[in-house]
Amino acid sequence: MNSIEYILFITFIGAGLTFIVHHALPKLRDTLAILVSALDLYFVIQAISEKSKVVLSIADFHLIWKTTPYNNLFAVLIAVLGFLTILYAHDFMSSKDRLGYFYMNFLFALGGMYGIVYSQDFISLFFFWEIMTWASFLLVIYCCKDAQPIGLKYFVFSAIGAYSLLIAIVMLYSLSGNLELTNLISNFSNFSVSNQLIVVTLLLLGFGVKSAIMPLHVWAPGAYFISPSPFTALFSGALSKMGIFGIGLVLFKFAAQSGYFSYVQIILAWIGGITALLATFYAIFQTDAKKLLAYSSIGQLGYIIIGLAIGTPLSIASALFLTILHAAFKAMLFMATGAVYFRTGTTDMNSVSGLIRKMPFSFITALFGIITVSGVPPLGGFAAKWMLYESLIQSRHYFLVIVVFAASTAAFLYLYRFIFSLFLGQEEKEWEDVKEAPLLMVIPMLILSAFVLVVGVFPGLILDPISQSMNYLGNFNFNYETSVLFNEWGNQVDMQTVVNTIGAVFLIVGLIITFKGFKKTRYVSTKDIHTSGEIPQENENLTYAVDFYKPFERAIAPILKSSIDKIYTGIANNLEQAFDYLRYVYTGNGQTYAMYVVFFLSLLILFAELIFGINL
Amino acid sequence: MIYYITSILLVLIGMYAVLVKKNLIKIVIGLSIVDNGIHLLLIAIGYVKNGTAPIFSKAGLQPNQMVDPVPQALVLTAIVIGLAVTAVALSLIIRLYDHHKTLNINKIRKLKW
Amino acid sequence: MSPVHFIAVPLFAAFLIPLIGKVSKELVKIIPGIVLLYLSYLSISLFPIGVNRPIVEIIAGFNPPFGITLYYGPIAAFLTTLITLVGFVIWLYSYKFIIREPTEKYYMLFMMLITGSTGIVLTGDIFNLFVFFEITSIAAYSLTAFLRDRDGAEAAFKYLLIGSFASTFFLLAIAIIYANIHTLNLADIASKIKDIPLTTRLFILILIIIGLGIESEMFPLNGWAPDAYSQAPSPVGAVFGGIVVKAAIYSLMRIIFLMFHTADVLHFLVVMGVITLLIAEMSAMKQQQIKRMLAFSSIGQMGLVIIAFGVGTEPSVRAAMFQMFNHALIKSLLFFAAGYLVFHSGSKKISALDGLGHDKPITSFFFAFGALAIIGLPPFSGFWSKLYILLSVADAGLMVPVVLILISSIIEAVYYLRVVSRLYFYKEEATDVRRTPVSGLVAMGILTVVILIVGFYPNLILHWMTPAANDLLDKAAYIKFGLFH
Repeated sequence: MNSIEYILFITFIGAGLTFIVHHALPKLRDTLAILVSALDLYFVIQAISEKSKVVLSIADFHLIWKTTPYNNLFAVLIAVLGFLTILYAHDFMSSKDRLGYFYMNFLFALGGMYGIVYSQDFISLFFFWEIMTWASFLLVIYCCKDAQPIGLKYFVFSAIGAYSLLIAIVMLYSLSGNLELTNLISNFSNFSVSNQLIVVTLLLLGFGVKSAIMPLHVWAPGAYFISPSPFTALFSGALSKMGIFGIGLVLFKFAAQSGYFSYVQIILAWIGGITALLATFYAIFQTDAKKLLAYSSIGQLGYIIIGLAIGTPLSIASALFLTILHAAFKAMLFMATGAVYFRTGTTDMNSVSGLIRKMPFSFITALFGIITVSGVPPLGGFAAKWMLYESLIQSRHYFLVIVVFAASTAAFLYLYRFIFSLFLGQEEKEWEDVKEAPLLMVIPMLILSAFVLVVGVFPGLILDPISQSMNYLGNFNFNYETSVLFNEWGNQVDMQTVVNTIGAVFLIVGLIITFKGFKKTRYVSTKDIHTSGEIPQENENLTYAVDFYKPFERAIAPILKSSIDKIYTGIANNLEQAFDYLRYVYTGNGQTYAMYVVFFLSLLILFAELIFGINL
Repeated sequence: MIYYITSILLVLIGMYAVLVKKNLIKIVIGLSIVDNGIHLLLIAIGYVKNGTAPIFSKAGLQPNQMVDPVPQALVLTAIVIGLAVTAVALSLIIRLYDHHKTLNINKIRKLKW
Repeated sequence: MSPVHFIAVPLFAAFLIPLIGKVSKELVKIIPGIVLLYLSYLSISLFPIGVNRPIVEIIAGFNPPFGITLYYGPIAAFLTTLITLVGFVIWLYSYKFIIREPTEKYYMLFMMLITGSTGIVLTGDIFNLFVFFEITSIAAYSLTAFLRDRDGAEAAFKYLLIGSFASTFFLLAIAIIYANIHTLNLADIASKIKDIPLTTRLFILILIIIGLGIESEMFPLNGWAPDAYSQAPSPVGAVFGGIVVKAAIYSLMRIIFLMFHTADVLHFLVVMGVITLLIAEMSAMKQQQIKRMLAFSSIGQMGLVIIAFGVGTEPSVRAAMFQMFNHALIKSLLFFAAGYLVFHSGSKKISALDGLGHDKPITSFFFAFGALAIIGLPPFSGFWSKLYILLSVADAGLMVPVVLILISSIIEAVYYLRVVSRLYFYKEEATDVRRTPVSGLVAMGILTVVILIVGFYPNLILHWMTPAANDLLDKAAYIKFGLFH
């Protein structure tokens, strides 16, 4: 057995075992899950140097799993995030029940993802894609009754995506009689242009659903919101990246061969842009931290899609860089929110505030997270965003630059709201005995924080594997010199000093502000506000976080009101109604059924020659 | 020929009863009539005018002067089956009457949609 | 060791059971198990022989085309194995489930169903096929009404009404065939069918489509199915979905491929399959009763199978039979689980299942497992057969059915997952202290394990599907073996 086999074997067997162990030896369950994910991490890293390849004959197909630089990039991402989230889950989930169910599906989702990234043929890709889908569905509906409709929505959209993938796969099979990736890629240019377009569209649609591109994003806010936090971190951080993984593959391995590639690029880029902008607007007005992060996640994936779609070496590099960073910072933010939830039992930004001193590590993590998101040096987000802007300008997509810039700026609003509402501001009586999250929850958060810091200072650490994987995607010779960022300051080392300087200034200013701020703090109750004579009602929520961006909200209300979600719900309800009428053909009267038979008989006799032809 | 026409008429009459009559018993009678029509048709297929039984009892009897025995065997089987079905149907009707106190098929439609 | 045992042994047992019932009630329950175990053993041991070269068994010494023959070819081998194995599991499940007296009647009828189904699969004679159909049907009518309640009788009567139509039309078709070419042997008919004038042939085809289509649950003909499935005791629902329909579809396809194998007929089948599939899945969406929902789902799956047969290429027929296999297993599992869920919740309503997942974790697990499997999610066996159907349908250039099949899959996913969600995530109910008996759990466990194993090694089954598909498609070989063995 080589590493890939070990990874898949261990994960799936481990998933089954945790479920069994949960009933037999509940204490060993968490350890087992952590062990499985740790082993996965070990073997994923092992696989990089090993250059493993597995060919498995199942049914009539050859399932091929192989390591390529591109696969490895995503596999490492999954493995690291999987390990950290499971570590995080140990304490987070400790008070919940049905943990066997939780860990089993968690590991199934992980296994599905490994399978997806390593597969080199569409059968196994789809196989694992579906495993990942149902495992994640089961985790989305884990929490409670409210999660059912949300989970169902998630599953239906996933199924639409998966089945458009499947239609494309089936088409590819009927066109070339083969589903191995390398084969298909070399045959792709032989297909007719319309077939090429259909296949590419369907594949992009299929992968796009998972990465929540608009207008197929409606499942995402709910699903991210309602799933348990450790899984949300993985969900948004790694699972949604499977869509990105696929889009990258489709764009540069298939679509690039088609004559219409430039149109595909433009359309996709604009979809990404609109996604980024609208999702950001939605994020601003969420009152729940997790929902806010969910929309933010959709928006961030929009950037990544823009980067991939533009297709210049610099933009792809920035997209992949953002992919990794997003995995890290979104996991951090979700973990920090999860920590708040763990201690306070809510993620409502209107009711939680001032946790900075109660939960300093969570605060630091959240702070690092939002700095990375907003692309402020010294953290990793800066370089990635810069590269994206630069590539957009280089390739003359000025309007997109404006869109991205607008979205990025608007992102500050919600990020500020997020950290301010949860951690800053005044402490409330209600949360007086809140403590920092347990150690096992803090460690993953800090690891990730350290990671974004290191990457911010030494982007080369990540850009090296990225440039390797870009070579796999299609001979993009990417080197840092193509970026102004690296040109101006010569090379990596200088970049480091620049970033260090900015970072140091940032920290010092921050420290001064905080220390000065501390002294002047006057402790008042959050309800202690001047109401111009009106006496506030007891049940009125007067936390400052309420109606945080009221004026702005009013300004862009028309955009927010037109909810695509409502359209989908309408369609679904109408369809269901139609189906309901349809079943009235089963009237319950035996005679009617007999009538159907006779009617059908006469119909067939009347049109016999038409239906069955004369050459019977 | 008259057999064919009669049998088809029987089938049609039976069908009419099954499709139009509301009384369960009449429906079952209709089913039996349809059955009989088909049985008659089967017999008619094997019938040879002035034919004898398909037994070589007399010298010089040619096979084409005998009626075809196969349809008769088929009909015998079919009659038995028809009988069984009718018996089951009638017993079901008894039970339906017990529960619904009616034999009107339009009123016995608790299972629908 | 001959295929005759498949018919003779259960038939004998069926008549023996009421007599033994006078002596010992316990023995009555055990005998069907022994019979089915023996038949399973027989089917597995005959399997390689039948696949290699069809066994043509001549009954009563008359050579074909005059006598009745049994044709034990690859497809018959496969289907008898399926029927006997699923039958055995159903027996295992029934062992503690059918506690209502008179049990000997239940087992007698059950044995009759097995006799009829294996007979349909094995026989090489069209009238004999009719007889076995009637045996199956009469046993099925009675079993539908087995619970002696109001709705059972109603469902049984509807089934009987439509079923009689089916047998009438089928018998009429046989009569017309016999009137024209004076033969009843399937192989002989196949070789002489072209002698019949075209109009008559069309009429025969239509009669056969109606007659066998009713039992195969084709759309406008399937009014009886939801009622019968939902009102029969759960193991009987599994018998209908797992055994009877399979035999019916097989016979329809056998006759069509032997006698009317033209592109137009096949297209007609694809269209009917799609209509059946879509209407059934849509009707299932808002069902309030779990077993009725399963019934519609079953009809839908049969539509899928009909589509795949209708495509008529070797891969598609293979996929169709693989789907039949999977459906037999998975739908039985679902009916089993639903049976105990209904039993524990005390109501047939889906809304009564809220929170049973906490209360009856294992039974609920089996239901959830079956639901995921039947939607066609990996790594369960249903995934492969659905995939194969889609690939083969697309390979024949029929992209529209592919899209429609997938749309129906989404609908299917929605209503199954709704039930699964209810089981696990709605309010917790007061507990029902009765436990699901071990025999039921073992039966479900066996099915689950097989579904998983086949999900990981589809070759295990697929390997045997190629000869079976060729058996169905190769008319010349059938005529050759059937007439001259």
